[in-house]
Order: sequence, then C-alpha cells, then structure tokens
Amino acid sequence: MESLLYLDGVTVSFDGFKALNGLSLVLQPGEMRAVIGPNGAGKTTMMDVITGKTRPQSGTVLFDGGTDLTKLRENDIATLGIGRKFQRPTVFEHLSVWDNLELALKAPRGPFSTLMWKAAAEHRARINEILAVIRLGDRRDRLAGGLSHGEKQWLEIGMLLAQEPRLLLVDEPVAGMTDAETEQTAALLRDVAETRSVVVVEHDMHFVRALGVKVTCLHEGSVLAEGSLDSVSANQQVIDVYLGR
Amino acid sequence: MNSLIRLLAGLCLLLAAQGAAGPAGAADLAPLVRMLGAGGFDGTERAVAGMAEAGEPAAVPVLEALLAGDLHVRKPEGDVVVARRQGAEMALTDPLSGASLGTAAPAVVDKIRINNSLRRSIRAAIGSLTLMSPDPRIRLNAAHAVFKSRDAAALETLDTALGRETDASVKQAMAEARASVILASASAPEEQKLAAIDTLGERGDREVLSLLTGLSRDAAAPAALKQRAASVVTDIEQRMLFWDALQNLWYGLSLGSVLLLAAIGLAVTFGVMGVINMAHGEMVMLGAYSTFVVQEVFRAYAPQAFDLSLLVALPVAFAVAAGVGLAIEWTVIRKLYGRPLETLLATWGISLALQQAVRSIFGPNNREVGAPSWMSGAFELGGLSITYGRLWIVVFSLAVFALLVVALRRTWFGLTIRAVTQNRPMAAAMGMRTPRVDAMAFALGSGVAGLAGVALSQIDNVSPNLGQAYIIDSFMVVVFGGVGNIWGTLVGALALGTVNKLLEPYAGAVLGKIFVLVLIILFIQRRPRGLFALRGRAVEA
Amino acid sequence: MRMVLPGGLDRSKLVLPILLLAAAVYVPVAVLLIPEGSPFALSVHSAGLFGKYLCYALLALALDLVWGYCGILSLGHGAFFALGGYAMGMYLMRQIGPRGVYGHPVLPDFMVFLNWQELPWYWYGFNHFPFAALMVLLVPGLLAFAFGWFAFRSRVTGVYLSIITQALTFALLLAFFRNDMGFGGNNGLTDFKEILGFELQAPGTRAALFAATALALALCYLLAAWVVSSKAGKVMTALRDAESRVRFLGYDVERYKLFAWTLSAMMAGLAGALYVPQVGIINPGEFAPAASIEAVIWVAVGGRGTLTGAVIGAVMVNFGKSWFTSAMPEFWLFALGGLFVLVTLYLPRGVLGLVSDLWSRAESHRRRRPDDVPQASP
Ligand SMILES: Nc1ncnc2c1ncn2[C@@H]1O[C@H](COP(=O)(O)OP(=O)(O)OP(=O)(O)O)[C@@H](O)[C@H]1O
Ligand SMILES: [Mg+2]
Repeated sequence: MESLLYLDGVTVSFDGFKALNGLSLVLQPGEMRAVIGPNGAGKTTMMDVITGKTRPQSGTVLFDGGTDLTKLRENDIATLGIGRKFQRPTVFEHLSVWDNLELALKAPRGPFSTLMWKAAAEHRARINEILAVIRLGDRRDRLAGGLSHGEKQWLEIGMLLAQEPRLLLVDEPVAGMTDAETEQTAALLRDVAETRSVVVVEHDMHFVRALGVKVTCLHEGSVLAEGSLDSVSANQQVIDVYLGR
Repeated sequence: MNSLIRLLAGLCLLLAAQGAAGPAGAADLAPLVRMLGAGGFDGTERAVAGMAEAGEPAAVPVLEALLAGDLHVRKPEGDVVVARRQGAEMALTDPLSGASLGTAAPAVVDKIRINNSLRRSIRAAIGSLTLMSPDPRIRLNAAHAVFKSRDAAALETLDTALGRETDASVKQAMAEARASVILASASAPEEQKLAAIDTLGERGDREVLSLLTGLSRDAAAPAALKQRAASVVTDIEQRMLFWDALQNLWYGLSLGSVLLLAAIGLAVTFGVMGVINMAHGEMVMLGAYSTFVVQEVFRAYAPQAFDLSLLVALPVAFAVAAGVGLAIEWTVIRKLYGRPLETLLATWGISLALQQAVRSIFGPNNREVGAPSWMSGAFELGGLSITYGRLWIVVFSLAVFALLVVALRRTWFGLTIRAVTQNRPMAAAMGMRTPRVDAMAFALGSGVAGLAGVALSQIDNVSPNLGQAYIIDSFMVVVFGGVGNIWGTLVGALALGTVNKLLEPYAGAVLGKIFVLVLIILFIQRRPRGLFALRGRAVEA
Repeated sequence: MRMVLPGGLDRSKLVLPILLLAAAVYVPVAVLLIPEGSPFALSVHSAGLFGKYLCYALLALALDLVWGYCGILSLGHGAFFALGGYAMGMYLMRQIGPRGVYGHPVLPDFMVFLNWQELPWYWYGFNHFPFAALMVLLVPGLLAFAFGWFAFRSRVTGVYLSIITQALTFALLLAFFRNDMGFGGNNGLTDFKEILGFELQAPGTRAALFAATALALALCYLLAAWVVSSKAGKVMTALRDAESRVRFLGYDVERYKLFAWTLSAMMAGLAGALYVPQVGIINPGEFAPAASIEAVIWVAVGGRGTLTGAVIGAVMVNFGKSWFTSAMPEFWLFALGGLFVLVTLYLPRGVLGLVSDLWSRAESHRRRRPDDVPQASP
C-alpha cells in the first residue's frame, strides 16, 4: 500500500543547531499516529516541515505517494489536503466563530471565487454540524477573540474539520482542557481517524493512551523509538530522556 | 606676450588685494609711479628699475599699462594716470588703485612713450616681480600662469628664474612651465620637445592631458613626438582613472559616514529596541540647533575660543536630544510597545510638532553654523583632495560607532538593554526594571542622534527640515544592514554611501539616488531581514 | 443586533452613498440655481473645497481598504494618488492645445521652454479623454501590482513594508522633480483651460466636477463595502490578524493582498484624477512622503477598518486643516502632530469607534438585554 506521508532523512538546522536530524517517518492512509518527545525534540519543527513553513536542508518529504512537499508553498500544501492545528491556538479574533468556520470550509480559495462566494444551504448545514460537534453553537455570532482558551482550541479543531483534510496535524490539542474535554477530544480524533490520517503531538500520556494508536518518540530531532505505547514507554532510552524515573 | 602679462598682472592684483601689503606697498610705489612720467626715457628706465627692486607686485599692473601704452601724464598736475579712449574723451584711472578719476579731453594727457630697450626692461621687471619675486607663492603662481599661457617670450626670464630657484616645488612648476612653453614653440629642437613631454607626463593632470592629447592628434607634428605624446597620454589616463576611483571611493566613504551618523541612533532605537521612531530625524535636527545655540553663546561671550564651540556642543546636543527622547518615551512610546505601526504614526506626529516648535523659535530659515578653523581647508594626498571637514566627520562617525558598540557589548547597561529587548518578560522576572531600561536605551539612541546633528550641522543647512532629509535614508541603512545588528548598520551605511557615489558619475546625483532607493527596495524584497539578519523564532513572531 | 451579515451588504452600508448622492444633486443646484443671497446658496469656491475633501475621502477609503482590512500600512499611497493626478493633468495639458503662452500647437509650454522639439512618446494618446481615463486607473494599478507582486511574494510585512512604500513615493518624488522626466519638473502641470470641452473655471463645470466626485466616492464606497463584506473580505480581515494561519487554511495570502493593494491603488489614482481639475494643478509635492502619512491619519481619526470612518476622518481632518491654516497657520502642524499622538494613544478605533461604543453602551443601558452580543465590527 502507498504511504500517505513519507519523511526520510529530514534535517533542519538553525544556525548550526539541528532541530531535526535525519528524521524518518512513514504514515499509512487512514492511520493515526501519536508523536511524543521532550521539549525541543523537534515535534513542532516536523510539522513546520510538512506544512511548508520551514524548508529542510536535506531529506525527502513526500505526500500521497509522489508530491514533494519541500517544493510547495504553505497554501498549496494546505489545498492538497493537509490541515494543521497549532500549538498555540490561533483563530481569527476579529471574526465571528461562524466566519472562522466559513473561512475554513472546503471551497475554492482564490480571491475571485471568494469574492463571489455565497453560503449555500449545504454549507450552512455543514457549519452547524461542526458547531454542534465542537459545542460552540450558542457562540456562533461571537467574536472569536472573546472565547476562552479551551473554546479557542475547540474552534480550531472545528476549523480543521471544516477543511476536510486528508491528513490532520494536531499539535498539543488538549493543552488547557479539562479532563472531560480531553476525553471528548480523544473520542473526536478517533472518530476523525476513521476516514483520514492524523498525526497528534501531545505530552499528555493519558490522552495518548486514550487514543490507543502507534506511538513515535522523538528526541533531538530523530526517532528514538516507535511502536505501541506500552513498548515505547518500556524503552529504557525513552524513560531516560522523556518519561523520567 | 600681452596675454602673459595680463595674466601675471591679474594674479598679482589678486594677491595684492588679499595680502596685507596692499595699501602700504601702494604708498611706497606712488613716487616711483610719478617718476615714470618725468625725465624722458631715462627717468622711466630708472623708475622701472626702482619698481623691480622694490619687489612690490602691485607695480605689475602699472608696468603692464605702461607696456600697453595706456600710461599718460596729466598735464597741469604732472601725475601719472591710466587713460583709455572713451568716445571723444579719455577715461582716467589711478594706475595703482584702479580708482576712476573721471574723464578728460585727449589734449590734457600725454602718453609716456617707450622704446625697445625700455620694453625689455619692463618685461624683465614684470618677470622678476613675479617669477623672481621673493615670495615663493607668487613665483609658483607665476609659473602656473606661464604654464597656461605658453608664451615663448617668457622663456628667457623663466630660464633665469629656474637657475636661481631654490624651492623644490616652485622649481618643479617652473620646469613644467618651461616644458609647456617649449612644446608650444615652433623653433625648439625635437629632442627638447621629447624631454618636455616627459616632464609634463610626470605632472600628469587634466591640463597636461588635454595639451598632450591635442599634440598627439596634431597632424602637423612630427611622428616621434606624436607617438611619445600618445604613450604619455595613456599613462596619464590610467593614473587618473585610478585616482578618480579613489576619490569617488573617498566621497562614498564620506557620504557613508554621514549616513552612518544619521542611522546610528536608529540602530539602537529601531534596530535593538524595535521602536519605530519617525522623529529620529528631528533628534538630529535638535542636535544641530544645539550646536547653533552653543556657537551663538561663544560668539557673544568668548569669540576667541570659537574653535572649541563644537567640542562644547557635543555634550549639549547629546543632553538635549536625549532629554527630548526621554520625554517622548515616557509620554508616548511607552504606551505603544508591541504596536509598531501605531508607534510609527505617533512618532511621526511628534516629529511634525518638533519641526514646528523649532520653526517657531528659530524661524523657518537656515541658521548659520560656523566651522572651526581646524575643520576648514583641505589637503592633497597623492591625487586625492580631502577636506578637513569631511575627514573629521568620517573620524567622528567611526568614533561614535565604536563607542556605541563598546557601550552595548561591554557594559552592564548594554547587557541589560539586550536582555530586555530580547526577552522582556524574562528580564522582568529576573528583577530588571524594564521600563527604566527602555527609557535609558531610547535616550541613548536619541542622544546619539543629537551627536550626529553636531556633525551634520557642518555640512548641511541647519533648518527645521534638516531631519526630514535623513529619516528615509536612515531607515534604509538600518533595514539594509539588518535590523538588530549594529555592525550591519556600519556596513550598510558605508556600502550605500559608496554605491551612491559610484553611481553618481554615470547617472547624476538625483538619478543615482533613485537607483539606490530602487535597489534597496528590490533588495529588501529578496532579503526582507537585511544583509545580516538575526534569525530565530523571536524574530519571526 | 448585528451590523454585518455573513456574505452580504446590509442596509446600513447604503446611508453614506445616499447622502453622497443627495450632495451630488444638491450642490450643483445650490451653486447654479439658488440665488446668491439665499441661505441655501453655495459659492463656487465652497463647492470646489468640498470636492477636494471628497477626493481626499476617496484616497482615505482606498487606504483603509489595505490598512484597515489587510493590515498593510501604506506610507506611499500619495504616489498612486499623484500618478492618477498626473495622468489627468496630462489630458488637461493637451486640451490647452495652441492656447499656451508659447502658442505651440502640440507641445505644452514647459516643453517649449525646455526647447523640446517633439512630444515624448508617453504623452501620446493623452489628448483623448477615454485613454487618459484608462491610464488614471492603469498606471497606478500597474505600479501597485508590480510593487506588490515583489513585496508580498517575498513576505515583506509590517513596518518594513511601510518603510519601503515610503521609499517608493520618495523615489518618485525625486524623479518627478527632474525636468527631463517630461512632467514639468517642480512646477508640475497647471494652467489648464478646459475639460471635455467645458471651461474649467465655469461654475457649471465646477458643480459637475463636484457631482462626479461625489458619485465616484459613492460607487467606490459601495464597491469597497461589497468587497469587505464578501468572503474575500473576511479572508483579508483574517490575514490582518494571523497571516500564517490563513496560509495554512490554503489561502494564497499574496494574491489577496495583491488584489486589495491594486484595487486600492486604482481608487487612489481615481481620487487624484478627480482632484487635479478641481485644484487646477498637480506637482511633485503630491509625492512627498509627508502627504501620504497625513492621509493615514485621516483614516485613523475616522476609525480604521470602518469604511465610513475613513470618509468621515478625511473630511473632518481636512476641514480642520482649512480652518487652521486660515485662522492660525503656525499652529496647524502642532494640531496635526497632536492628532497623530492622541488618536493612536487614546482613540485606537477612531471617532466612529468612539461613537459606536458610546451608542451601544447607551443602548444596552436602555434595554439591559442579558443576551446582548458584541458587534462583529473590527
Ligand atoms: N525558527 C527557529 N529558529 C531557531 N531555533 C528554532 C526555530 N524553531 C525551532 N527551533 C529550535 O528547534 C528545537 C526544536 O523545537 P520544536 O519547537 O520543534 O520542539 P518541540 O518538540 O515542539 O517542543 P515542545 O514540546 O516544547 O513544543 C528547539 O530547540 C527550538 O529552540
Ligand atoms: Mg512544540
């Protein structure tokens, strides 16, 4: 089976410091992967590379069998079907919750198409559906800037859903959420993963366990261990550098 | 011949008018002038000899007038006047002072007549008054004049003068003058002319170049001569190209140092602190006006110490600009940290108000800021001519830059500034009083702009608009060099200055500047963070 | 109560255009038909003055489109204004024909004065109004497009962009000062005689020019309002706040910026073109960076990010300027400088923001509705 995402020997260095060092990672279509690792391991940088924010010095990054992501711009990568949630929630503060979702909704992206765009009934239905999922229905007309931290996280996840990407990159989605919300997020992501591939970065081990998927542990820019959560957390090196004790 | 004498005379008149000897010498000469008209040829001869002996250059125009047949004796008084026909009348002037004495009927004046031997004496006298004058400067100028006139009649005097000359540079000038005369003469033998070409080749300036170029293209000239001239011409051209390039480089360096001065304060406020201060140019202007005020005080109370005024102006300008900067920081900028576009607008408003304030106080016109004696004049270095003013500005800007680097890199104050600007919350958490550090840093940047104003007052018009002229250039320099990198500012300023000056000969001053602006615009698009960009997440955020 | 509905123009956006239409009808009537003594009469002079204000308002509107919505602070919009003005000036110049001081059938006076023998190629065609009108939009538009294409693609943003827009207008200022550019050097273009065959100084022409300006402003306002309330407008607002996020949603941020930037430059050019026949001159002074920055403060005073605010701000500030420069000229720069400082410090949302704050506070006071939601205006 063709892999959906293929990273091989990816190296990124900032002024000599190697944030990624020969990183390799392969993701199958429909697979969900949890990425863990200590602060500064390069998890966010890996997402930067995949989404075109950072250009690697060397290495291969292929999407969907053949598309070389290192040559594309951020927006082109996004339109290929790669969606991303940032570590720090970033929503459009001066737009309403509804407008935030409307912008994310899968639709033509060019300025002239958006100029003429009108929300059809199906679009409104889809947005309402997402609003129900992220439970922000009663806040739909509020400015996103006025939401709480957790609500912003949800809104961002909602935007990700609206985008209908084939691959979701989710950076620390449950930071700032209550335990109950964490559970819900895990359930939501599992749901999503039925139809698409997901990469989740998270420090919260309960959350990772709740996902119940294959885990990759990064350290100093390369893969330290890969496998089920139990096998990875039993790995002595992982214990030394990350899990502690 | 006449042209030669007129030239010499003109020169000497100039000298006489400048030199303190002018009026006194004229008084000494008066009896001799009167003598010219008395006692026939003999009396004239004796008077001419007396003038040659007196060695007074003021006599030259008199002798010239005599030679030209313009010197007359006015009848009843018997005094000697210059009389020239003016319609039916004769216009009279005093031979020494050149003052008009009105007009008279031709019958009233008698021409002083001269014969051939007298003519020779007069020429010799003029020659000795100039080429053999005791003053080496006069001799030098006379030699230059001969060089230009290329008058064969001067050859004799020139040879005598050359034999007696002791001053090396004057001797050189005379030898060159002689070579130029020989080249022009029809009778000189070819080998003498070849030697003359070589002598001139050593001088190798523009005049020689045009002279020899003319010769090398002269169809009538002998082939050997033409060939030699042509080879010397290429030599000279190459040498000139070299010196021209150096001179342009110097101009570029000089412009670069001005840009550096203007931008250096901005390198602190914008580069290090990230505050967009559009009133930066006005800080420079305040420095210039401080200089003006200090100089006024000196003029009023201690004119003899005027040379020191700039040194006193430095701390004053620093204090004034830093004080105003501090006030701006406290009242406005402090409230706008993290909002660069708003800061830009607010400080622009401040700059308008400052301009108007200065205009109201000092008036809208340029104010006169004097140069101390140690900043005026120029000297030659090889083929370069360098003015002291520019030289001092280059030195001064580099010194200010060095001081700033030391202040930022080596002192505790500099360390806190860098710490605060790089990570404000962290610095605050470590107990630094960040608002105070901000204020001090901003005052430092403004003060340095004030220092720049002292220097710029020497080369630019001190008017309320002074700062406006520099603000865009300063930002260009800082952005081009790379924000946050003070060494980048140095390189940026010098590079932009040099490029500007190197473009100027081809494109003219205005187009050159436009080119540079367009180049920078294109450059920023290629490297939005400047030549020496800082990298890292903090910068991207 | 929401002012902006998703994906459509709402009725509040029609208030200003209707007022402008009313002015476009009233002013010509007041100038031409109402006898002078009447309190409703207007002098030709005031009509010209108002017309000038409306040109500035159009410039402010253009500026607000990029600054208020895309977050691009242009310190060089005066350049587009001036280019539009020059294009119109060239047309007016060629209308003078043989009536110039030197009486040359084709060459404008300043060219005869400079001993030019023939018309430079770039002056061809400007004797035709449609061509000149096209150039009014095309020249600023193309320059903006080229500049923006480079600048946005290389991701020059924020203050850097502001500074290079300033450098752009400064470079043009220097260029237009040169006599051999063929635009009249520092005297610029002036001594116009007629436009479309009408005497430029005639009251009827002046009134018509005012009406045309009011109409143009109304149309541009509607166009801008339509753009910003469309989904594209939301993309612009979004990229103003979080540019890279918009990129990761798949929008080509550069193309949006380029679109808004070029549209805005063309509006500015139109403003300049309407301005020149009303003031009777265009010279390089319009390129001065100070002029462009002054336009920014009009927008800030009225309320950045609200199109109506830009229009109101431009008219208010310029009204104040006219008053100051006649009553106490030496204080105008103090006032203007103070305005810059005070508005940025204490009135970040401008006059309109202040009014709407006060109004909504009074409103909620009156009704005390618990479920009152904040307005979706930026
Ligand atoms: N733009 C940049 N410039 C310089 N260094 C960078 C840059 N981006 C990342 N780094 C460095 O690369 C390393 C990896 O950073 P990254 O953000 O990928 O870590 P992370 O695994 O996401 O950590 P965390 O769990 O804290 O989010 C860090 O040491 C960081 O300082
Ligand atoms: Mg991270």
